[in-house]
Amino acid sequence: MDSPTPMPDAATPAVRVRLEGRRPTRDWFPWVVGAVTAAVLLVLLVYPIVTTLLSSFVPQGEALSLRNVSLTNFARFLDSPLYQRAFLNSVVVSLASTLFATLLALPAAYVMARVDIPLRNLIMSLSVIPLIAPPFIGAYSWVILLGRRGIITHYLDQWFGITMPSIIGPTGIILALSLSYFPFVFLIVQGALSAADPYIEESAAIMGASRWRVLRTITFPLVLPSILSGAMVVFVRALGNVGVPSVLGGDYYVLPTLILFQVEGYFNLNGAAAIAVVNVLLVMLFMLVVRRFSGQRRYVTLTSTTRGARRSTRLRDRVLGSAYVWGLLLVALLPQIFVVYSSFAERWAGTLFPTQYGLGNYRLVLRNVLQPIVNSLTLSGAATAMALVFGLITAYVSLRKRFAGRWLIDLTVMLPFVLPGIVTGVAYLTTFNSGWLTMTGTGIILVFAYFVRRLAYSFRSISAAIGQVDPVLEEASTVCGASTGGTVRKVTIPLIAPGILAGGILVFSTLIGELSVTIMLFSGKWKTVSIAIFEYLTSYRTAPAAALGSVVIAATLVLVFLASRLLRRSMADLFR
Amino acid sequence: MSTDVLRIENLNKVFETPEGPVHAVRDVSVEVRGDEFFSLLGPSGCGKTTTLRMIAGLETVTSGTIRFKGRDLTRLPSAERNLGMVFQSYALFPHMTVFDNAAYGLRLRRVPAQKVREQVMELLDALGLSGLHGRYPSDLSGGQQQRVSIARALAYDPDMFLLDEPLANLDAKLRVQMREEIRRIQKDLGVLAVYVTHDQEEAMSVSDRIGVFKAGKLMQVGVPQDIYRHPTSLFVADFIGKINFFPCRVVARDGSGGKVALRSGHEVVVGRFQALDDAEREEFGVETPAVLAVRPEHIEMRPRDAEGAGGPVGVVRRELFLGSIVRYFVDCDDATRTVIVEAAHPPAGVHEGDAVRLTTRPEHALCFGG
Repeated sequence: MDSPTPMPDAATPAVRVRLEGRRPTRDWFPWVVGAVTAAVLLVLLVYPIVTTLLSSFVPQGEALSLRNVSLTNFARFLDSPLYQRAFLNSVVVSLASTLFATLLALPAAYVMARVDIPLRNLIMSLSVIPLIAPPFIGAYSWVILLGRRGIITHYLDQWFGITMPSIIGPTGIILALSLSYFPFVFLIVQGALSAADPYIEESAAIMGASRWRVLRTITFPLVLPSILSGAMVVFVRALGNVGVPSVLGGDYYVLPTLILFQVEGYFNLNGAAAIAVVNVLLVMLFMLVVRRFSGQRRYVTLTSTTRGARRSTRLRDRVLGSAYVWGLLLVALLPQIFVVYSSFAERWAGTLFPTQYGLGNYRLVLRNVLQPIVNSLTLSGAATAMALVFGLITAYVSLRKRFAGRWLIDLTVMLPFVLPGIVTGVAYLTTFNSGWLTMTGTGIILVFAYFVRRLAYSFRSISAAIGQVDPVLEEASTVCGASTGGTVRKVTIPLIAPGILAGGILVFSTLIGELSVTIMLFSGKWKTVSIAIFEYLTSYRTAPAAALGSVVIAATLVLVFLASRLLRRSMADLFR
Repeated sequence: MSTDVLRIENLNKVFETPEGPVHAVRDVSVEVRGDEFFSLLGPSGCGKTTTLRMIAGLETVTSGTIRFKGRDLTRLPSAERNLGMVFQSYALFPHMTVFDNAAYGLRLRRVPAQKVREQVMELLDALGLSGLHGRYPSDLSGGQQQRVSIARALAYDPDMFLLDEPLANLDAKLRVQMREEIRRIQKDLGVLAVYVTHDQEEAMSVSDRIGVFKAGKLMQVGVPQDIYRHPTSLFVADFIGKINFFPCRVVARDGSGGKVALRSGHEVVVGRFQALDDAEREEFGVETPAVLAVRPEHIEMRPRDAEGAGGPVGVVRRELFLGSIVRYFVDCDDATRTVIVEAAHPPAGVHEGDAVRLTTRPEHALCFGG
């Protein structure tokens, strides 16, 4: 009856395990996720773009249909001096800002990469502040400093008898934009210069090339692709910026402010769409030109050398280098410094400097602007969550799955990167103002627009994190019997969690001060912090604007700092 | 004893690359059964790893079938094949402890926690990992990580045990120890194993049978001794162990054996003939009708002028004392390259710089072509 319990074989260890394991179920997860992602991208990205394109060809007030297609809206660029001037101004301002930003950035990048400068970590961290602080918040500082009755204007006149040109108009816009955006070029080029193989330059030097000749014939051509890609980011940003020209433009219109004017003044969405299309065409034209320039110039400068570029320790280089870098940073950060300074000014009317200081503005802001703060946190939070979820999915699919339409995902996700913010705003307003999916006036439309604007950010930071994870770990999980979803949940996500969190912080913090999209889509109920600041500024109540601006700058700075700690990467790396 | 059969038929893999399609695996057919330890052996890029990955379901199959226990696995997702796999880099989950790594597959199969605990601890003990269950992989040595990855692969009683160059990252001594251990565990569990390696000595020592790969093709399948003694191609002869080639022409055939003449005119009695295809003839630059192949340990050497000495003449260029054997490098005009001769006892009167005559026995002389 009872069979005796078999004795374990002493000679062989008892590794024999038999079990009645359940086989894993069929893997449906990727299909559902894929379908949902495709639907979201289609509805929130492709559909608005197509609608905008179509409505730009339909005259105002006509039904959106192929039968009503005409070039009326675009004809305005031929018959309206306002349109022509705005177009020309946009080209001039964007090109000039790009040029100046690049010219300012290059020496700084070279100095930071090739000269032994003290406090380099501090310098690198400070250099991202202009990117973090929304440019329009600092723009008004230039009026206080360089305006007709500005502080610097006053002293220049008094001490040297120099009369400054008006800051209102192209001068101010170009000044503010180049100083806000130069870090894009600076960070990319500095990175490329630091990573460049030092042996290449050294071998040129050994062959007898002078330092200037090495710079001109070796270094510059090697980093040219980086310079161009940095310049491209600046150009796209400058062309799409609506806040700075609104604050500093006066009656000097550029395309984004013209769009704002058409929408706020006439609610002419079709006209705005046409301007947006022209805006995008300009971006594409610029990209094509840059492509032509950098197309055949791809060099792999990353080598296995662990040695970085040699940094000069000559006293002259260090003094001159420090002077340039600190001078540039001081000028670039002057607006932010002044925002903080003027936020403490309680009485400042008709005098050069405030006559009374205190925390009154902060109290005022807290009393009146609590709702916008809550709104901003809610909207940015929701959009961040969404951007992270879809950023994770798209990044994972794009890196880990092989299928025919993969490039389409990459393209779709990266598209908003080249769409100026104001264009996304117009597209959403045009598309979701009526029809089967009406969302204008709701908070949802802002969440979606934010999501679309920042998906590329989270996609990039999550892609970078996934790129660090050896795919063989996921294969090991799969072989063990885990479904795709299970593998992502148990292996991939835990391993890339810091990257996800840092990406989230980056998205969230840059959304708090978002203006270009918000200004098109906000409603009375969903006013944000950036709108509150903008309204204060445009009604010349600069002190509360400064107080609120200081809060935004400080909060974003803290968040970005946290993200950099979390990733153990420098703040500068987060924006490279 | 299970009599499970892994049957691979006409397996092909074509990778689409920007430079055009690459045929990584060509018409591979093989059968592995029971608790056999089967090795896929070949130089890097020969398609052995791709074949293993197709068995694992990590790579799609371009054409052909993979069947196990009569079930078609060809299009089945990897997760549903119930396999255990050890990767070259071990691929341990860095965010999980040793215990959690080993328990991963069991937990996926919803095995009750208590049972998971018992089985995993038992397995860790058997692999000499007692006491390390709370550690993280980064705190372990290479050998320990290797054991953990074996534990993870075997914890849930897989139907097949796949190993992709598992010893490549270990030092030489540990490599020998681990391969014995892997084979012991595999036999204990009675699980069918497919093992990928580029190290022929490793393959010879652990495998029941070996499949030798070259450029995506399975050149020869057999037990280690057979592959060593009776290679069916110049490639296998050359890749497994060391061998010397002497261009020749056939002067006589007699049943399975015959007689060949070397370039110098010396005649050698051959015990076995093997066909030589045109592709190999071209690849190895064979200009004569046939090639004589002899292993280093099967060549005998005598001073040229010794009494009764015959066979082709060469000059000893270098004598290498290797402990249990002595290895000689001999320049000989009859061979395609420097002749290697190995002997347990140094032949009398042979020194560096001496002229020698080389001979072999018919049963050790293998002729390709003719």
